[in-house]
Amino acid sequence: MNKRLFLARMPLSKDDVKRLAELSRIELEPEEAARMEQTLDPILEYVSRLSAIETAGVPEVELEDEGLGFRQDVERGDNQAERSIILRNFPDREGDALKVPAVFENPKQ
Amino acid sequence: MKKILESTIKSAAHGLETGDFSSTELTKAYLDQVRGLDLSIHAYLDVHQDAAFLQAQESDERRAKGEALGPLDGVPLAIKDNILIKGQRTTAGSKILENYESPYDASVIKKLRAAGSVFLGKTNLDEYAMGSSTEHSAFGPTKNPRDLERVPGGSSGGSAAAVAADMCVAALGSDTGGSVRQPAAYCGIVGFKPSYGRVSRYGLIAMASSLDQIGPLTKTVEDAAILAKTLMGQDPMDQTTAAGKPFNPTFPKSLKGVRVGLPKQAWQVDGLDEGVRSDVDEAVEKLRGLGAEIKEVDLPYADEALAAYYIIMPCEVSANLSRFDGMRYGLRELAPTLLETYSKSRGRGLGEETRRRIMLGTYALSKGYYDAYYRQARKVQTLVRRAYLRAFEEVDVLVTPTAPNTAFKLGEKLSDPLAMYLVDVFTVGANVAGLPAISVPCGTDKGMPVGVHFVGGYMQDATAIDVAYAYEQNRL
Repeated sequence: MNKRLFLARMPLSKDDVKRLAELSRIELEPEEAARMEQTLDPILEYVSRLSAIETAGVPEVELEDEGLGFRQDVERGDNQAERSIILRNFPDREGDALKVPAVFENPKQ
Repeated sequence: MKKILESTIKSAAHGLETGDFSSTELTKAYLDQVRGLDLSIHAYLDVHQDAAFLQAQESDERRAKGEALGPLDGVPLAIKDNILIKGQRTTAGSKILENYESPYDASVIKKLRAAGSVFLGKTNLDEYAMGSSTEHSAFGPTKNPRDLERVPGGSSGGSAAAVAADMCVAALGSDTGGSVRQPAAYCGIVGFKPSYGRVSRYGLIAMASSLDQIGPLTKTVEDAAILAKTLMGQDPMDQTTAAGKPFNPTFPKSLKGVRVGLPKQAWQVDGLDEGVRSDVDEAVEKLRGLGAEIKEVDLPYADEALAAYYIIMPCEVSANLSRFDGMRYGLRELAPTLLETYSKSRGRGLGEETRRRIMLGTYALSKGYYDAYYRQARKVQTLVRRAYLRAFEEVDVLVTPTAPNTAFKLGEKLSDPLAMYLVDVFTVGANVAGLPAISVPCGTDKGMPVGVHFVGGYMQDATAIDVAYAYEQNRL
C-alpha cells in the first residue's frame, strides 16, 4: 500500500511550495520560493526510499526506558529575576503586559 | 604561555591544585588567545569577559580557603549558543533571537556552576543546530583552525574550533544527527554524545526533542568522560531523562576480551573517501593489537536510518520552531494582520536551511502524507533500534569512520543540501537509536583530521568511552 503512494509521488509544484509556506507561516520571496522548490524535491525523493521497507506490524514506539514520566503540576513560586528578563524580551509591551496584534481583524461591535 | 593553553581538564585541574597557575591566570590566557585568534576563526559569538573573571576569582578564593569543588573548578569552558546562560544573550545562530536574553540557566549550566566552571562565552553554530558546517549561522561561518578555507563541521562548529585552537580547555555542544561528533572529527578533537536521556535538555533550545543530546568537545577522551559525568543525571525539568546504568569508565590499557563490530552495511556506503577508509582501517588494526576481537556484523537499515532521520527530525523541528512567531520574544515584523506578522517575522528572521527543514516537516506531517512519511519513518526507527540491539548481542562496540570525508571547503556544499545531509551517514544511527557514541582523532588525510567513531549499546556509555580511551592512549 505504501509503495503505491510513493510511486505516484509527483514532484513539488509551485502551488505545493506556496501552500507549505502558508502552513509553516513563513513568507517567501519569489526567488526563495523557487530555490525551495528546487531543493526540497531531491530531499523528498531521497527520503521516499523508506516506502520500500516492509513495516507491517512494527510499532512506532518501542521504549527502552520510561524516563521520569510526568511531574506534579504545582506552583513553583515567583522568580523575580527570571520574570524581569522575560518582560525585557517582550517585543512590545504596555507596563507588564505583552502587547500583540489583534487576533480578530474585524471584531464584532 | 603556549603550554598553559594546551591544558586539558585533567592537567588544568592539576596545575590549579599545585598552584602552578590560578584560575584567573588561566582565564586571562584563554581570553587573550580568543582576542588574538578569533577574528580569523570566528568560533565565538559572545565572549563573557567580565563574568568569566568573576567566576575565576571566586574559584581562586574557594581554593585559597581549601574549598575547591572538584576537577572542573576554575576551568574555562566554551558553551554552544543554543544552551541558555541566565542574563546572557542566546541566539541559536538565528536573527530571530539576535537580542534574546536568557531568562534562566540550562540545567547543564547549573551543574557546571555547582562544579565551579568558568564560562568564557558562547560559540557559533548552524542556525538552531541545523547543519553540518556552521555555514548556516546568521552571524557568519566559523573557520576550521587547521585550514581557514575549510569548514569546522557542524552544527557545533564554534565549540569544536574553540577547543582545537586552544581558545578554551573544553566546550559543550549539542548532537541531534552528529553535531558534536562530526565537527570533532573535522577539527581533530574528541566529541562525545551520551545515550539519549543521560543529560537534561532543559535550557537547550530544542531542535528535535527525541534526538537532541548535549555532549562535550574536548582534547582527550578522559576529559570527555569528566565533563560528561558532571552533566549527567535525571532532571525533573526534563521528563525524558533516564537513570540508566551508572557511568563509571575504567580507562583500561588493554582491550582483551572486548568484541569490536564492523557494521557491514555502513562500511559499504557510497562516497567514503579512500584516505578516511585507510586511516580508520589502521585504527581497527590498532584495536586488534590491543587484544580486541574484531568481527564483521550485520547492521541492516544503516542507509535507511539517514532517511528516517531526515523525516523524523524535520517533523519535530517544524513543531519546535513554531514558538518563534514574533509574539513573546525575538524579532517581530509587525504587519497589517496577525497572520502576516507571523509569516513576515519568520520569513525575515529564519534562515534558508531552517525554513527548508520546517517546510519538510510540515509536508511530512500533513494530511495525506503523515502515514507514508512520518509514521513509516517511526516504524523504520524501531527497526533500526532492533538492528542495533541484535548487533550488540554479538559485540560490545561498533566502529566506523565518523564522517565519509574530511573538512570540505567553505561554500562547497551550500548549493546542494542533500549532499550536506549525506555527511551524517555514520553518525545519525546513534541518534535514531538513542545510543552513546564518541569520535576520536585517528590520523589525517591530505592534512585534514580524520575521526574514528565508536558506538556503544544503550546506556553502555562507559564501554564506548573505555574502548575510545584505550585506542587513544595507544595510538601514537
